[in-house]
Amino acid sequence: SPMVTGTSVLGLKFSGGVMLAADTVGSFGSLARFRGISRLLKVNDSTVLGASGDLADFQHLRQLLEQMVIDEELLGDGHSYSPRALHSWLTRVLYNRRSKINPLWNTVLIAGVYGGESFLGYVDMLGVAYEAPSLATGFGAYLAQPLLRAELERDRDRLPTREEARELLERCLKVLYYRDARSFNRYEVATVTEKGVELEGPLTLEANWDIAHVV
Amino acid sequence: TTIMAVEFDGGVVIGADSRTTTGAYIANRVTDKLTPVHDRIFCCRSGSAADTQAVADAVAYQLAFHSVELEEPPRVRTAARLFQQSCYRYREELSAGIIVAGWDPRRGGQVYVVPMGGLLLRQPFAVGGSGSSYIYGFLDATFQPGMSRSQCQEFVAR
Repeated sequence: SPMVTGTSVLGLKFSGGVMLAADTVGSFGSLARFRGISRLLKVNDSTVLGASGDLADFQHLRQLLEQMVIDEELLGDGHSYSPRALHSWLTRVLYNRRSKINPLWNTVLIAGVYGGESFLGYVDMLGVAYEAPSLATGFGAYLAQPLLRAELERDRDRLPTREEARELLERCLKVLYYRDARSFNRYEVATVTEKGVELEGPLTLEANWDIAHVV
Repeated sequence: TTIMAVEFDGGVVIGADSRTTTGAYIANRVTDKLTPVHDRIFCCRSGSAADTQAVADAVAYQLAFHSVELEEPPRVRTAARLFQQSCYRYREELSAGIIVAGWDPRRGGQVYVVPMGGLLLRQPFAVGGSGSSYIYGFLDATFQPGMSRSQCQEFVAR
């Protein structure tokens, strides 16, 4: 059962790459206990991973992944794990743990750019896995996913630009901050493009409480 | 239980209350919840007394062995990692919230928190135990990074 947990992670494809966003809090039940945790992990130069759920299990996953990346670098054959390969591996790991009735209590988003193609995938603690142009875990699935999808469906011929995507993710994070009792207004954003991975943060959201005057 | 540890330039200040209860009865009113696991590394124990004592004894043994092999004092991070390995592996069986604090020549004073679940996190200061909930507000308002040793001692005492 989860102890210290992270809430939603958001993911969105844009023209040029993929972006992930998550807040930086680790909640101990309803207590916002650790307010400076990074839930986004750069796996290699083409992939990032964002985790929600139990953070001790996320640390365990992080150690496994780091070891895998080191082993791969030692091979020195010029190949690195593609985001799709990592997604597949993670699905197997999480499904197997679930089948032993000892799950890693995490829901994970994997984002990356490999061979010119951008990838965004979801895996949860049951081993359920899928890909989509926009994804969200936890509360985000209810609050942010509709907003992300609306933006993508507005103009089916093109993906949003990087700036549009960034703005949209921030808007979603703000909505989540307003309505998710386990969220926080400090967050990080990871952007993956052909050029590599950029991790920005921690940034702070400005909340607008003007509507309070109407009440 | 209320336990806390604060880092300052040159070391750490740790503090704890002294009550152990079995239900509503105070079994021990002079408990020492600050246990050394090595010469300059302590742990603050909260949760089940039996669990934390058992884990702390195991870690103290592992550290003693490790420092003989290393021929130098162990790093605080190593001690914290050892706690984390036990607390994460047996997370379903244990009820232990631990703060590891100490000093080593490499990184100076350090505070690491290993809450229930087995997460490992380094922080400039940490609190734990059931009593910690009541002081989060006070701590957030009063703590400033870069306090001196006596300021830290005063902070913990308050």
